[in-house]
Amino acid sequence: MAANMKAVKLRIKSVQSTMQITKAMQLVAASKLRKAKEKANKSKPYLGTLLSTLRDIANSNRDFQSPYTRQGKSDKWLYVVIAGDRGLAGGYNSNLFKFMESETKGRDIEVLPIGKKSVEYFKHRNVPIFTEDFAEVAKVNISDCFSVAKILCDAYKEGRFGHIFLCYTDFISMMSQVPKASPILPLSDLKGEDGEAVRSGSLILYEPDSETVFNTVVPEYLAGVLYSSINISVASELAARRTAMEAATDNAEEMIETLSLYYNRARQASITQEITEIVAGAEEP
Amino acid sequence: MATYHLQVVSLDGVEYEGDVEKIMLRTVDGDVEILARHINYCTGIGMGTAHITLADGTETKAACIGGMLSVMDGEVRVLPTTWEWSDEIDVERAKAAKAKAEEALKDAKLTKESRVRAEAKLYRALVRIGSADKK
Repeated sequence: MAANMKAVKLRIKSVQSTMQITKAMQLVAASKLRKAKEKANKSKPYLGTLLSTLRDIANSNRDFQSPYTRQGKSDKWLYVVIAGDRGLAGGYNSNLFKFMESETKGRDIEVLPIGKKSVEYFKHRNVPIFTEDFAEVAKVNISDCFSVAKILCDAYKEGRFGHIFLCYTDFISMMSQVPKASPILPLSDLKGEDGEAVRSGSLILYEPDSETVFNTVVPEYLAGVLYSSINISVASELAARRTAMEAATDNAEEMIETLSLYYNRARQASITQEITEIVAGAEEP
Repeated sequence: MATYHLQVVSLDGVEYEGDVEKIMLRTVDGDVEILARHINYCTGIGMGTAHITLADGTETKAACIGGMLSVMDGEVRVLPTTWEWSDEIDVERAKAAKAKAEEALKDAKLTKESRVRAEAKLYRALVRIGSADKK
């Protein structure tokens, strides 16, 4: 009994120290989340307006001079996948990868992973990787987004890919984050994505001409989309981590409670046994 | 004067939303002024000062760099990469950036890439200084 008690005591201690860590992680995630959410919320209207503007243009565009509006000839799909740098964020990373799996089934894909977990996952799966230069999502800043956008544009113009998609985790609320894939190139992929009524017949004046406009606007648009998607993903990751760590802390508390109940019972039993033994010893002669 | 609905949305959020008389800004092709009932229009934004005349006639200005301008069915959207209202510009910082960029450009051995980058920095700093209220 005594050995068992010692084991239980050790177990309580170990659970306690784990709880301390999960509790700390929860608090850190919660405080970081506030900032990240603010940042994500700030860039959300930009993303929304940008997408609806470009959708309008794509819907009414009849001018397929620019390589960005034309359907690519290649059958290859490029996915930009934004995941986290670290684990312990509940289902944040695995949900995204599961979603990717179903999304890309039967397609000839290449990926541009952003986030260490994303790099690891696709390396493990032997999916061809476009570039690994942007492995750490925490270090990606706005100028990196512009360089990614430039790389994507160049690759698309060269005809290496027929479609470019962006895969990230949308922040719906503190409790729910949903993986999402949205088309980013060619612009004709944006057409009627939400089943909007297609505006027809409206002609657009491009100045100086559509090609120049698209050539300047598309890289900017890509960078903007990337930047805000990264912000949203980071907020999602922190929210997922916070929820996961909260659950872990609760579980640890519950475990400690059960274990200490067991420990106290065992202690009581051993005391009772000792008393019985002493009494039995005293009665003997 | 007739007004129209203008949206200015940058990466830092919605900068302006409301009715205006006109907006003038520098596109990749030079200065452009949009009045009400403009034809559907789309262009890239260059680097320069944007002047907005609000519905009540007051004028404001801002440093406006990069992005796109679109007019779709009377709705005008300005989507700049950076948008700083004239009263929010940190002139000291812009001046420091200008000096730094000028210093960098003096170096004759500069690679082409970093020269382009330094020139862009210098230009951005100049636009900021030019758009600021207090000089």
